[in-house]
Amino acid sequence: MEMTSCCSVFYFRNELAVLQALSSTVQRDPTASHYRFQDDPYLTPRTASEFKLFSLSQESGRNAAKYIINTYPNFFLKDYAEPHIPCLMPESLQPKVTEVCEAGLRELIHLRKVRSAVDMYDRLLQAGTVVSLELTNNLLDLICFYGDQDPVQGDQAEPEKTAEGEVVQDPAPRRKEGRFRKSDSLHRTWRKDNNAERIFHLMPERNERSYGALIRGMVKYGAHSKAFDLYTDMQNNRMAADVHAFNALIAAAPEVRQKYSEKWDLIAEMLKQMNKLGVRPTLLTFNTVLKSLLRCGPLSRALVLQVLGEMKALGIEPSLATYYHILVAFYRQALSPSTLSRTMLTTDLLHSMMDEISGKVFDALDPDDVYFFNYAMNICCSLKDLGLAYRVHSLLNVGDNWKLLGNPSREGFYYGSLFNLVCMMENIGVVLQWYRDLVPSLFYPNSHTMRDLLQALDADNRLDLIPEIWKDVKQLGLATVSGDLAEEVLALMARDEHSPEIQESFANCALAVKAVYGHGEQSQATLDFTASALCNMATILLAAGRTDQAWEILQLFKANNRVPSEKLLDEFLNSAKSGSNSEQAVTLVQMSSSFSLPATARLAQRVEQEFDLSEEQKKALQDVEATSDSDKD
Amino acid sequence: MKSQNKSTTHIKMAVSFGGAGLILANHAVAHMSRTLCAVPRARAIHSTAVCCKHQAARIRVGKGDKPVTYEEAHPPHHIAHRKGWLSQHTSNLDRETGAAERTVEDIFIRRFIFGTFHGLLANELVIKRRGNMLVVCALFTQKIPAYKLYFLIGYTETLLSYFYKCPVKMEVQTVKDKVVYKYL
Repeated sequence: MEMTSCCSVFYFRNELAVLQALSSTVQRDPTASHYRFQDDPYLTPRTASEFKLFSLSQESGRNAAKYIINTYPNFFLKDYAEPHIPCLMPESLQPKVTEVCEAGLRELIHLRKVRSAVDMYDRLLQAGTVVSLELTNNLLDLICFYGDQDPVQGDQAEPEKTAEGEVVQDPAPRRKEGRFRKSDSLHRTWRKDNNAERIFHLMPERNERSYGALIRGMVKYGAHSKAFDLYTDMQNNRMAADVHAFNALIAAAPEVRQKYSEKWDLIAEMLKQMNKLGVRPTLLTFNTVLKSLLRCGPLSRALVLQVLGEMKALGIEPSLATYYHILVAFYRQALSPSTLSRTMLTTDLLHSMMDEISGKVFDALDPDDVYFFNYAMNICCSLKDLGLAYRVHSLLNVGDNWKLLGNPSREGFYYGSLFNLVCMMENIGVVLQWYRDLVPSLFYPNSHTMRDLLQALDADNRLDLIPEIWKDVKQLGLATVSGDLAEEVLALMARDEHSPEIQESFANCALAVKAVYGHGEQSQATLDFTASALCNMATILLAAGRTDQAWEILQLFKANNRVPSEKLLDEFLNSAKSGSNSEQAVTLVQMSSSFSLPATARLAQRVEQEFDLSEEQKKALQDVEATSDSDKD
Repeated sequence: MKSQNKSTTHIKMAVSFGGAGLILANHAVAHMSRTLCAVPRARAIHSTAVCCKHQAARIRVGKGDKPVTYEEAHPPHHIAHRKGWLSQHTSNLDRETGAAERTVEDIFIRRFIFGTFHGLLANELVIKRRGNMLVVCALFTQKIPAYKLYFLIGYTETLLSYFYKCPVKMEVQTVKDKVVYKYL
């Protein structure tokens, strides 16, 4: 029996619509760590270095698995998936075609094996086969992209042997990461006797693509003037370069001229030729123009906005990189640490820019997009403009713009500057709200940020929160980095009088801080006791009424070669008096004389007056006075 | 005599029938070898007397020094009463297929993780299938530092994904030591 169904068909706009609708109902959870980590207290990173370590170890585990899968592919060939999932099959990284033919060359290019491909091409030429123009162009693209060297895989990096002009890769101990270090490609330079140039000259006929590939490779690896020579060559042959080649030439223009005006003239020349040839500029063209304009000195301010106008006239939507370059042109001088013109910021460009871009959703269209938010937040910090900072931050929360913050360290800088600004300008309630929201799910503060937070607490008279903050400091691993935080915390606690409960909590906190000093376990870094730290600790303990522990701290002075302050000894004398402990008083005076403090005589006098002393004690006191008198003489 | 020896070894290599203990099986084999030599090329199922005893997944009470987790302490008739299921998939529902394949996959995954996270498992794995995703819920002890655990987790997830051609996720919880329910 068959059932007839009259189901209505639901159409979704795309496959992900349901998931996106569900995810829009959920906010970020400020108590959880990043989603890539497991949800367990032992496995949650507590500091920035742990964050990096855990994510890198997870990534290296994945790379280890990929290595095994690609080395033993026969175990992973059984296909359970319906339909077939190509990305879950083992990949073969070795070329299959062994004889010398065009298909072999095609495969080597596909596998990105630069040297073997060049070898194969040479052998093909020697054998007399004519390699097609398209294939040769592909080969040129490959060589120029990788700078005539094989792309470095993480586990295969050996230090390059020095040949003429080749750069030696630093043989740093390779960890298991398998990440392609960006710095590698920047260290390569365009060699004189290059395979790309050689093959280029060997080619019987060349078209625009060949010229384009070579120009872009030369600009990428630093041979700028050669790129321009090649361009004139191209013009002489009456060939039209495409938009990518023009972009590369515009990027190279500031390098081949010295004076600012000449640089700009060259860029303008390039643009005019593009126009003449009918090549339509893209977003990347304009961004490159802006980037090169920044190298043209004072011309940049005047011309940057004109370029933006041209972009809009052509109907190209600017990306965050465009706005970043404009900001740099205007605020570069004000933000540099050397100039004194920090107060001379007369432009409100950022305000008008935020007016324009608030609420817009941006995509990642240019590698320089990630610099925008950091730079904008930097500007807000130096302008001390909180409202503007909030506007920049709200732009971050629109749609998917948070993805344009960059890697975790860049995120850390951004949130660090935002939090510093908030600490400076807002009252403590708002500061604490931001603190709970940002830390530690979004960024791990450094000691500078924690000092700012302590100052904010001080300014708003909320010193009772110090013990909690100290717990966070310990958890973040900042306690032993430098002694400053611990000293600051102790100084703040010891400074004023507080109510008894707060004194009690301060005393507990002071003991916790004491544990950070002194001798910890072998692996932990420990700090040495300083005089001010010990004084403050003792003061706090006395104020809480814990005299025994305070006396222990006095012993530590001698043990660590530190001198107590007179004020501290006065306080001890007060506490001894309230406890009517004349023995302690006498010990105190003896201790002060052993440190050769100038206040010894005064202390001795005070003890004589205020305490009932037995005979031995009076004698001891007189001895002390005698020695101190003799010292004075 | 020589032929008898050959057939003895041949039968000893065959699968053991019946459910009784090892000693009984040996006797059965010896018995079989004598009878079967008389009847060439005939195989029969051998059964012994019934032993009315359950012994699946049970730990018998001993001296009281053996620590036992909650999972191990409860025998299988407590499933759905005091215990949950260790392997959750829909192939046992009406008109669903693939139960045997799922079971074999489960066994492979359990052995794989037992070996990869050597000495770290505090309890049996729980394997859940949601959509086309395989979720392996594991309870580990904190014997190795956390970054090493992350390395193994990344490795396991990737390797099992490529092996079974479906996304494999691990949900890990750690515990200081194995949680003892009672001592038997």
